[in-house]
Order: sequence, then structure tokens, then C-alpha cells
Amino acid sequence: MEALVGWWDDYFWGSVVVAQVFICSLVLMVIFGLIGAAAKLSNSVIAQKLANGYTIVFRGTPEILVILLLYFGSAIALTSIAQIFNPEVKFLDVPPFWAGTIAIALIVGSYATETFRGAFLGVNPGSIEAARALGMSNLQTFIYVRIPEMWRLALPAFGNHMLSLIKDTALISIIGLNETLFVAKQAIGTTGEPFIMYIVVGMIYLAFSTVITLTVMGLERYGQRHMVNVR
Amino acid sequence: MKFITLRKMTIGLAAAFTFGGAAGASAETLRVGMECTYAPFNFRTSDGELVGYDVDVAKGVAEIIGADLEYVCQQWDGMIPALLANKFDLIVASMSITNSRMEKIDFSSPYRDSVGRLVGRKGMDKELFDSAGSPIAANFAGLRIGLERASTYESWFNATLPDADIVLYDGSEPLYLDLVNGRVDAIMTNPMKAHLRFLAKEEGSDYQFVSPAISEVEYFGIGVGIGLRQGQLELKARLDGAIKKLINDGKLTEYALKYFPFPIHNEEWGDS
Repeated sequence: MEALVGWWDDYFWGSVVVAQVFICSLVLMVIFGLIGAAAKLSNSVIAQKLANGYTIVFRGTPEILVILLLYFGSAIALTSIAQIFNPEVKFLDVPPFWAGTIAIALIVGSYATETFRGAFLGVNPGSIEAARALGMSNLQTFIYVRIPEMWRLALPAFGNHMLSLIKDTALISIIGLNETLFVAKQAIGTTGEPFIMYIVVGMIYLAFSTVITLTVMGLERYGQRHMVNVR
Repeated sequence: MKFITLRKMTIGLAAAFTFGGAAGASAETLRVGMECTYAPFNFRTSDGELVGYDVDVAKGVAEIIGADLEYVCQQWDGMIPALLANKFDLIVASMSITNSRMEKIDFSSPYRDSVGRLVGRKGMDKELFDSAGSPIAANFAGLRIGLERASTYESWFNATLPDADIVLYDGSEPLYLDLVNGRVDAIMTNPMKAHLRFLAKEEGSDYQFVSPAISEVEYFGIGVGIGLRQGQLELKARLDGAIKKLINDGKLTEYALKYFPFPIHNEEWGDS
């Protein structure tokens, strides 16, 4: 345990980075998922095709590859685009934090697309007919009927997506983001104590995922508070 | 420093795509890529400070050419792609100057010897090298050798001893773990590092060097240098001059003696 002396603060800041990546990618993931689901359910063939392409590509490629491509590829691509408009620009960079956050949000968002789509389809048609009969507009129906009903159906799978998301944050260490796994690698380089350092990372992730699991359980109970005789 | 990084991260998407590299009027800042996990050459202490021989060299060079330094920690196998993608400007990460790397990037003149040596269990039943120091190819057949991916050691093994059963790792730390676990029979790595990190310690007491130091120029290059993107002749000249000055002023010896009982560069590099 003495090997850990002096590393706690590094682990703490690493955990803060993990939390930051998680929150930013969670927001983006929900946005990507909702857009994807909306596109898949829309009447536009082009939107459907685009959304299908999105889920096929991001569900079908290794996560680590997407992260590497976004990190190395984005800098080169952005630079060449920027140089068309302004030849003065030497390079444009996407920092590891955003490259990694966007990458895992895109990946998990592609899974969430399917979850949201299924949940929207699972909304009781009777509820929507009832809303129409009451004279609600399409937007009102969406906000007051579809979203609340769909949300309850999507929650269990969505909880799994959040767990994938928190665990995927560990992948970002390969592009040099200073999160807990990266701290562990540096600590091992100095102390030569791999097991202790990795176990600490494991505990940190377990703590994060426990909080997420409990939160989802609470949300599920909240989502079902009006339901009588459920389960 | 940590606070600054954290604040930078939270600024937001709008500010995320930052412009950089444009020539400023203030002192030039050079971003230096290194592994940050390769003790004693570049590693982070528990105080969060980057130290090691490579770091000392980078600081010494920066002082002479009058530049500010910013460090970027980068995993080894992505080091050259990251330099080419402009994630940083220099590689000061114990990278040997080899012909295959010179096809993609330029190097300064060398600042450290480049050698490799095999480490194996004491009392291995086969002699791997004859008395003249050449490998005995037949005894390598089927022998499991742990190497770091994209290293000079890997290219030397592929060319010289193709019969060996090569196991590749990302990073140098797993080599020692799997050597102790018995997943590999021997590993090849930097002897100075192997001595400090492993052989001099309790866990390495059953192990020893099982080869002479190998430094064939064709694979190991003339030494370890600072990597930079091609076509920066002016920067390269300044780096070369700074390294020569560090050698002639005895600074490199001073840096080496912090970690090793002997200097790890060639005095002749300073002459010309």
C-alpha cells in the first residue's frame, strides 16, 4: 500500500476527468440517439438511410478504432479543410478530451438509437389517439405523451448504455487523456507495482458504475410511479 | 498545472477546436511528445512531475535554443503518427534513429546510445549466443520472446531470428510481468532500464542478462535522437547544435549520472 503514497491526488484528478468525459458524452449520446431514432422513424428515405449507415458503422467497428481514427484523423482532416479557407493556418487540433468524448458518444449513441427507436414504437397507440382526441398538437403529443411513455420503456436498456459509456472512458487513455487508467500506467512506470495500481482503477470504476446503477433503479421507480399493478 | 489542464477541458466545444502553431511574437513553445511511463528516461513521479534522462535532455536543449516546453504524454506505438498529425513538435522519448523511421520523420544528432539486451531466467538450459556474441539461431526456434511493439528490438528480431516466437506488447511494463508469469522465456529491452527497473529489484533476482549488448547500426541506428517532422532544417540545425553543446559542456554526463553509474552517450558525438 505504501506504493500508493503520493498517487491519491493523481487518481482523484483522473476520476474528475472520467466524470467530465462521462457527463459530456452522456449528453451527446442522448442527442445522437434521439436524432438517430427520429431519423429512423421519419418518412424521409434519405434520413432513414443515413441513420442506418450511422448505426451500421458505429455498432460494427471496434470502439478503440473509432477513438484512434477520430483523434488522429480529425486533426489532419480539419487542418486540410481549414487551409482551403485560410492558408495561414498551420494546424487545427482536436484535444484528446473532445476526440475521445465525441468518439464514445457516437458509438454508444448508435446503440441508443436502436433503444430509443424501439421505445418510441412501443408507445401505446391508444395514448396517442387519446391525445389527438383531446386536440393536442403534434409537438404537445410528443412532449407530454410520447417522451414520458417512451422514456419508461427505454430506461433499462439506457442504464446499460450508461454503464458502457463509463467503462469506455478508460479507452481514452490510449490517446493520452490523463484519466485514472493513464494515471495507473504512469504510477506503474515509476513504482513497478501493476496490481495495486490497476486495482485502484477497478475500485474507482466500480464506484462510478454503482452510482449509475442505483440512479437508474431510482429513475425506473420514478417512471413507474403512476402505474398501478406493474409487476 | 493540473488546474490549468482541467480548466482548459471545461471551456467547451466552441473553444475545443483551437488554432495553434501560428508564429507568435512571444517565445516559441515546443510541444514534446514522450511516453511518460518509461522510467528512468521519461516518467512521472508521485508529485506529478515529469523527470528522467529524456526530460533533462529536452529541458537542456530548450534552454539553449530559447524555447518553452509543453509535454504531451503519448503511447509508444502512436508516437510517430501523433508527431505527423501535429499533436506535438518533437519526440524526446528514447527513440532510436533508424532508417525506417527516417522515411517518415527527421532526427537530430544522437544524445544517447541505442542498445538492446535480452533478459531471461537464471540457468536457462540453452545457450542463446556463441562466444563471439552472435545469436545461435537454432536455439531460438520456438523460444517465446517478449518485445515492445514498433520497437527497434522488434525489427532486429524479425530480421535476424525469424524462428523465435515473438510476443508483442504495448509498453514496456507488461514485458516484466509476463516474464515473471512465464508467458515469455526472455525479453529484449534497454539494458540500462532493465537493470534499474527489474534486475536490481527483489522480483528480478532470479533473472539476468542472457545476451551481450546488441547495437547493430542497421537496426538500432546510430543512437537515440530527437524526432521532428521532415523539412524543418533550421530547427534541426538548432537541435543538433544544442545537443553538441550539452555533450561538450558535460551536461549529458551529468544527466546520466543521476540514474546510472556511467554516461550513456558517445563523447565523439560532440566533436565535429
